[in-house]
Amino acid sequence: MHTINKALKVFFKPFVLIAVFLTFNVDASYSQDIAAGEKLFKINCASCHKVTDQKLVGPGLKGVAARVPQPAEEWLIKWIKNSQAVVKSGDAYANKIFNEYNKSVMPSQALTDDEIKSVLAYIANPPADTKAADKKEDAAPAASAQDSSTVLYFLLGLIILFLILISVLNGVKNSLQRLVNQKEGLPEPVPVNYNAAFLKNWARTNKKIVALGLIVIVSYGAKAAWNGMMGIGIYEGYAPEQPIYFSHKIHAGENAISCVYCHSGVEKSKISNVPSANVCMNCHKAIQEGTVTGKKEIAKIYAALDYNPEKDTYGPNPKPIKWVKVHQLPEHAYFNHAQHVTVGKQECTTCHGPVAEMDTLRQFTPLTMGWCIDCHRKTEVKMADNPYYTKLHEELKKTYGKKPITVSMMGGIECGKCHY
Amino acid sequence: MSNKKYWKSLEDLNNSPEIIKKAQNEFAQEIPLEAFLGNDALNSTKTPRRDFLKFLGFSVTAASLAACETPVRKTVPYLVKPEEVTIGISNWYASTYDDGSDYCSVLVKTREGRPIKIEGNKFSSFSAGGTNARVQASVLSLYDNERIQSPAKAGNAATWKDIDNEIGSKIEAAAAAQAPIRILTSTITSPSLNGLIADFVAKYPTAKHVTYDAVSYAAIRKANMQTFGASVIPSYDFSKANVIVSFGADFLGNWLSPIQFARQYGVTRKLNKDKKEMSKHFQFESYMSLSGANADVRVAIKPSQIGAAVVSLYNAIATKAGAATISGAKVNFDKSIAQTADALWNNKGKSLVVCGANDANIQSVVNGINAMLTNYGTTIDMANPLNLAQGNDEEFIALVNEMKEGKVSVLMMLNCNPVYSAPKALGFEAALSKVPTSIATADRKDETASKCTYICPDHHFLESWGDASPKANTYALIQPTIYPLFNTRSFGDSLLTWMKNPMKYQDYVKANWEKKMFPLQSAEPMFQNFWMKSLHDGVFELAANPISTVNWNYDLSAAASEISKETGSELEITFYQKISIGNGTNANNPWLQEMPDPISKITWDNYITMSPKEMEKRGYNIIHEKEEKMNTVNLTVNGVTIEKVPVFPQPGQAEGTIALSVGYGRTMVGKAGNNVGVNAFSLVGTNGSGLMSYHSSKVSIADNSEKYMLVTTQTHQTLMGREMVKETTLSEFRKNGKAGNHTEMLFIADGHDHKKVPAHTVNLWATEENPGFPKPGLQWSMGIDLNSCIGCGNCLVSCQAENNVSVVGKDEVRMNREMHWIRIDRYYSSSMSKEKAEAEKKGVIDMYHEMEIPEENPQVVFQPVMCMHCNHAPCETVCPVLATTHSNEGLNQMTYNRCVGTKYCANNCPYKVRRFNWFKYFENDQFDFHMNNDLGKMVLNPDVTVRSRGVMEKCSMCIQRIQEGKLTAKKQGREIKDGEIDTACAQSCPTNAITFGNIADKSSQVSKMKEEDRSYYMLEELGVQPSVFYQVKVRNVEGHSEAHHS
Repeated sequence: MHTINKALKVFFKPFVLIAVFLTFNVDASYSQDIAAGEKLFKINCASCHKVTDQKLVGPGLKGVAARVPQPAEEWLIKWIKNSQAVVKSGDAYANKIFNEYNKSVMPSQALTDDEIKSVLAYIANPPADTKAADKKEDAAPAASAQDSSTVLYFLLGLIILFLILISVLNGVKNSLQRLVNQKEGLPEPVPVNYNAAFLKNWARTNKKIVALGLIVIVSYGAKAAWNGMMGIGIYEGYAPEQPIYFSHKIHAGENAISCVYCHSGVEKSKISNVPSANVCMNCHKAIQEGTVTGKKEIAKIYAALDYNPEKDTYGPNPKPIKWVKVHQLPEHAYFNHAQHVTVGKQECTTCHGPVAEMDTLRQFTPLTMGWCIDCHRKTEVKMADNPYYTKLHEELKKTYGKKPITVSMMGGIECGKCHY
Repeated sequence: MSNKKYWKSLEDLNNSPEIIKKAQNEFAQEIPLEAFLGNDALNSTKTPRRDFLKFLGFSVTAASLAACETPVRKTVPYLVKPEEVTIGISNWYASTYDDGSDYCSVLVKTREGRPIKIEGNKFSSFSAGGTNARVQASVLSLYDNERIQSPAKAGNAATWKDIDNEIGSKIEAAAAAQAPIRILTSTITSPSLNGLIADFVAKYPTAKHVTYDAVSYAAIRKANMQTFGASVIPSYDFSKANVIVSFGADFLGNWLSPIQFARQYGVTRKLNKDKKEMSKHFQFESYMSLSGANADVRVAIKPSQIGAAVVSLYNAIATKAGAATISGAKVNFDKSIAQTADALWNNKGKSLVVCGANDANIQSVVNGINAMLTNYGTTIDMANPLNLAQGNDEEFIALVNEMKEGKVSVLMMLNCNPVYSAPKALGFEAALSKVPTSIATADRKDETASKCTYICPDHHFLESWGDASPKANTYALIQPTIYPLFNTRSFGDSLLTWMKNPMKYQDYVKANWEKKMFPLQSAEPMFQNFWMKSLHDGVFELAANPISTVNWNYDLSAAASEISKETGSELEITFYQKISIGNGTNANNPWLQEMPDPISKITWDNYITMSPKEMEKRGYNIIHEKEEKMNTVNLTVNGVTIEKVPVFPQPGQAEGTIALSVGYGRTMVGKAGNNVGVNAFSLVGTNGSGLMSYHSSKVSIADNSEKYMLVTTQTHQTLMGREMVKETTLSEFRKNGKAGNHTEMLFIADGHDHKKVPAHTVNLWATEENPGFPKPGLQWSMGIDLNSCIGCGNCLVSCQAENNVSVVGKDEVRMNREMHWIRIDRYYSSSMSKEKAEAEKKGVIDMYHEMEIPEENPQVVFQPVMCMHCNHAPCETVCPVLATTHSNEGLNQMTYNRCVGTKYCANNCPYKVRRFNWFKYFENDQFDFHMNNDLGKMVLNPDVTVRSRGVMEKCSMCIQRIQEGKLTAKKQGREIKDGEIDTACAQSCPTNAITFGNIADKSSQVSKMKEEDRSYYMLEELGVQPSVFYQVKVRNVEGHSEAHHS
């Protein structure tokens, strides 16, 4: 018996380990100096260098440690601290690079040796791919919303697996026991399926628990099915790939361009409008190269307008840009941006989320009717300073007293407000 | 309750059992449920129930799975957005509709660069914000994919360059050979285009401009030439006339300038507590026209009697004026003539006599009558003549003869289709074949264009630059609202090209305005500013020339003797235009084809109208039922025969006469209009004075054994015999403002007894303690003045354009499935009333019996009916899915995506205003009415859902306009101004009969209207508390309660 139990324990050990491993969410993030290096790189280097082999102002830094005279670290620290000194010292590689880049001087960087080492560590371990990294970053919040349920499902699956294993192993144990008994001449154990009999007996004696369990299982399944059905047509988190890799993070975030600059219809019309290409050209006539994608994506705007940036001329063959619509209102619903932004004084982020942090635009809210109505029930009408509401407010006070007037109190959840 | 008996049709009046049975059913068609379920084949199919359920489950799963994928939709912004375009916000442009027969100053609503709606331009003093159905529908014709899409030579597409070269050289050759070049157009009021044609004629002196209108008014010009020495049509002002007399002129529907006249007429029909005077309108005519239906006194006469009637009126007035009489035959309705003469004489200088006969002699006598009544200088203005209706029949006939002789070498045609519209006897088609170079500028390969050498298609008016001048000192501009859809070119540009003038017509117009109109004013010192202002306003109007009186010294005896030569016959025919199709130019417009005729309520057809009495005599079917086909006849007029023309019983049709509308029977106009009805133009003949005559005595009809289905929107949707039109007479109204507007009383329990209380005080829902939900601020309401509603149907098409209302086609209309959100109920009344019975000491049985006797010449009343937006709506309480609900602004809302199509609401609606979508009417080739192609769908209003199969729909009170108006006010931080928000039906009503507004605002127009004594709610006794109210119709009929029966 003991041997068997021991064997079983050995057998189970890996599972226990897996379980332990799973319960601790091991974070495989960069080590500290790589993270610091990334930060430093972005502040000091990114305006001229890329961590890929793509040239910007200066050379791309992929594999730089292998290129430069060895020992690379030492050489690079010197070069970064004062490149001209290295050039003047007659270093062959330094002179070659200097001449290759039309004798443009790499400015000296006021960094400590450790800091430079961090940067080099970052360069040596760059993010796998910019796009992939963005996607990962974007997907993360959406995933986090589902995290709890995913983990739950996973654990549930594991439990079921373990239960099956236990029952199988129990069977094995019983057979072995029988064999041992036969060999040792002991009487056979009760010739029934131990598990089934046990379960049957247990179920017979604990009918209430069984019923309860069944109810729980059925309700849980129904709820899951219901949730699944209700999710049809809801595209929260939808972040399609666009024909041009346009980053709201760069435009609205880093450059802090107001949303209305491009989405000029938002204060006037029902549609906030995707900006026309001539709006892009207001800036991108001058800014011909991006920090992330270089010339590639901006060239698509030029192609759409048939613009030649070298000659500064427009050609005769413009082609419209076919953006992919991200926010799709359910059919048969009327929505007006001006009503919400100009009159209701709502922030863009209320519905669109932290757009300034998104590289790829993502649908932040579910855009369902329930979500609309929920907000209409909670949101107070901005009546102050708008003479449209003055008389109306007086009348509403007669009915509602001093209660704050929400959109729904004014008929804001009537069908005809959005469906006609 | 009004004590008159109304009936919607003869069957209604006769109380036929079908009608009674039908009145019980919301849907006249039986749904063949039994036949379907009882089908044995269904049971023996290879798909048993279980399999069916399996498939069902599978498809549901598949559909759900498919729905999980986010559908990828593209959004394509402008590359370079025009500055004036804000996506989602409409731009409005002023322009002008001037197609040679209708003139109207309009505003065009465009969304993202496509015109989607036309409304009246209130800046114009001419049309004053009114439109008619044809103008409203013209926006759909723009998106007709059967327009010709490029120039063509001998029927094959060609390039402009090749065609221009050929035509240019042919013109040069003709000019060199001194061969005649002819430009045949319909009326052109455009100063620039007329100027350009004059330039052309100056360059090529063998050229001549001939004007030909499909429906001619040449006699008026000719008569004015005879009597006053000026070949003009004067301006008429019906608004200044206390007495209006019309001899066969349907001035509210089609005659000359109906939109303008309807507006003026509407002014005279308005009544309120301060204005208790209204015009008195006499109409002498053979068929029931729109004007006749609105007349206070209508006398049914034969068309051949019009001359004699005019002469006898002349003599009656001459006797009063002490002037010499002229010779004329005695008419058998002299009593009516005498009454008319009295009324006219008592309103000397404040009356107007008009006549529809295209006969210069008759028109001369009419001029004489107006001169004796000193109407020149008040209601008739010779100093500011109309530029409309310039068609010259004599010149046209001369041209045809010239063509027949092979003399004409080049013929250009603009905006006319004489192969279709010229009388068959004239032989235009044969004449055209003898012209070596014929150029059509039609928008499609129509009857004429298809027989021309070249087709050089003109733009639609919404794509064109141009100008117009409907009358002296009144100018208007036409500006494009969309880039030309096809490879078309304006006629002006074509002429300029052929003249080898490199100028663009747009610049030509502008230069012409700089040269001619700009100096006429001093307000704008810079031309560019003047130009921009004129474009913005759409009109440029100068002070009118001072109105002048005339000197009458014309001897009418010759005219009188010519008139007396006209002899009638047993059977006479009148040709008329329907308000929907007009002269047939827009016959391919499904909105117009499906618009019910205001009188007969028939759609998609023309037909012979005949008095029911006469039909009975001839043994024809007079019960016009849904499934009842009508008799047909072979009609021969002026020697031309048309076979198989259906005959329709029309009360009010003079005995011994028939009528047939022109504009139908097109063969090459397109899928919607081809072979709809018969072509009455082919039957038109000429009269003694050499002009087109729109009536004839040379008529014979022969029975045809075939029967024909006419479809109508009339006999279904009955109001269960309940009375909802209230009316009174002017004298009663003067005595008591509430005359005819009795409060409905209801018996209610009062303890053990009962008491009588006003019906509207009884309330099933809310009580004083529980007033229901709060209704703060806005309460939308609509008032309809039945006295100024002329029933023209403009609102119906306007609503259709605004609200994406589907066209369903003839067969579906037959099955009561038309979708119009607003209908105009037309009721005939009988002259028997309770008062009359009392006065005549008639018993109740006799009275009711007489109320049921068909009137030969009934009084007519029109009542527009749309959703009443009941505050206690019966439809809302029966909807099982809450698809129809109430708003706190008093609107009955319809939520299509919630509707499951039980139709309970329609069954429970006392007004029968709900419409069910039996099919998907768009993107469905079964309904080939422009909504099944991308081009046609461009007309749709993007703010209104396009309803699909299986949902109920109805008038929303243009909720999209209300929301838009509210938002505009909110954005600007101000209160809503009264009149700022208007429904589509109210906006362009030519008589301002519909008023819309916020009734909670006591100073609003609609509130003031509601306070009037004449206001009432339809079926108020039901207690549904409608938001739409009506105003009692008042008839100016003292002493004329009995119209004469000829």
